[in-house]
Amino acid sequence: MIENFLDSAYVKSLPYLWEGIQLTLYITIVGLLLGFILGAITGLGRLSKVAIFRGISTVYVEVVRGTPILAQVLFIYYGLTAVNIGELTAAIIAIMMNAGAYIAEIVRGAVYSIDKGQHEAGRAIGLTERQTMRYIVWPQAFKRMIPPLGNQFIISLKDTSLFSVIAVGEVLYMAKQYYNTTFEIFETLIMVCIFYLLITIPTSIILRRVERKLDV
Amino acid sequence: MITVKDLHKSFGELEVLKGIDAQIKEQEVVCVIGPSGSGKSTFLRCLNLLEDVTSGEIEIDGQQLTDPRIDINEVRSQVGMVFQHFNLFPHKTVLENITLGPIKVKGVSEGEAKEIGQSLLKKVGLADKENAYPDSLSGGQKQRVAIARSLAMDPKVMLFDEPTSALDPELVGDVLEVMKDLAQEGMTMVVVTHEMGFAKEVGDRVFFMDEGVIMEEGDPVQIFDNPQNPRTQSFLSKILS
Ligand SMILES: Nc1ncnc2c1ncn2[C@@H]1O[C@H](COP(=O)(O)OP(=O)(O)OP(=O)(O)O)[C@@H](O)[C@H]1O
Ligand SMILES: [Mg+2]
Repeated sequence: MIENFLDSAYVKSLPYLWEGIQLTLYITIVGLLLGFILGAITGLGRLSKVAIFRGISTVYVEVVRGTPILAQVLFIYYGLTAVNIGELTAAIIAIMMNAGAYIAEIVRGAVYSIDKGQHEAGRAIGLTERQTMRYIVWPQAFKRMIPPLGNQFIISLKDTSLFSVIAVGEVLYMAKQYYNTTFEIFETLIMVCIFYLLITIPTSIILRRVERKLDV
Repeated sequence: MITVKDLHKSFGELEVLKGIDAQIKEQEVVCVIGPSGSGKSTFLRCLNLLEDVTSGEIEIDGQQLTDPRIDINEVRSQVGMVFQHFNLFPHKTVLENITLGPIKVKGVSEGEAKEIGQSLLKKVGLADKENAYPDSLSGGQKQRVAIARSLAMDPKVMLFDEPTSALDPELVGDVLEVMKDLAQEGMTMVVVTHEMGFAKEVGDRVFFMDEGVIMEEGDPVQIFDNPQNPRTQSFLSKILS
């Protein structure tokens, strides 16, 4: 019984999957960090008084949100043949671009939700626009961003599984490689799902706690 | 101290201020009254350029505010503003609310700003609240912190936009008391308020605003007890009834 188990894909796929897991987490985290920067810039861009900045940001957000991520991935990897980037770079860019658009909306909503009086009070004591954003509006808005950003982390983590179509060695791709030789499809995929759930469920629980604590 | 000439302000098509002329002397306390929507807040907000002026001139302490070369932030730091809804920074302690301006705008050291803040808190009767967060304060306490926050910039003029109208009646007195002290120390103040007792006791002059202009101005006792303009009469009879 135990020997059977130790000899099955539940255990023997683990070294393969572990490699994929590392890559999955790497793509998610790097992609999201870059996506946060892009999202913060374009989210504030959508609130900007400068029409061109607002226009570019809006087009970007609408295009990304209006198209399927799989199409975006294929476009970045195969479509942009002129730049010829590697598959890992393509994957990170895809997460950055995709999450960036959703984060832009998170940032915009959070900043917009801060009472206008906060901004005015900052300006009234003589802070510049920049200082008002930095010391008054942004810290309050950032608190409200935490729950939706956590949610975006879960979404982007799962989205990385799409990169198996461009042969990025993330966890689902590694799983396929494994079961293509052993045919233990069920067992391998169970392990993949367990991996995702081990990350997503605790994240959800933490988020709910944070949400309650922040009272937002 | 403050000279306003033919001030106009429009929001798109809507003209809210239709030519305001006013002179306010140093150390004077001017109370502004008038019906809702008459442009009282807009007038006040023009005085520290929270609204940009459509046309006309505003001069404060020799500086032309409408001059495009003016440093807006410099002007604002010299003109304190207290809001109806306090607008304290909820993520900062009471003391941090007060010291932020001196540190970031004036470049005062943290230690010095702290001293300024503590002495101002003492002045408004909240010395024991320096480490509290605004959410834990009553409305009256919040407004006194907001006054201290403005004073920390050492302004030449203080603007108050209905500072007591969001407060429970029993908390109004403490705030008015602080404002009275301020007036007695010689602060130049423009106060939008319907607190007649305050206007009569502390105010040097009252402006009655209606439809975007100052319809009538004069000594508080005269305006309240013996208004000349029929609009002032009908407004006062409404708020006093
Ligand atoms: N940012 C804005 N955009 C468009 N219209 C505005 C804006 N601010 C004020 N108004 C309009 O200008 C007019 C005057 O407003 P204001 O707030 O100055 O009146 P008020 O005398 O302070 O009234 P209240 O006693 O209700 O505070 C109102 O009709 C208001 O709707
Ligand atoms: Mg008003």
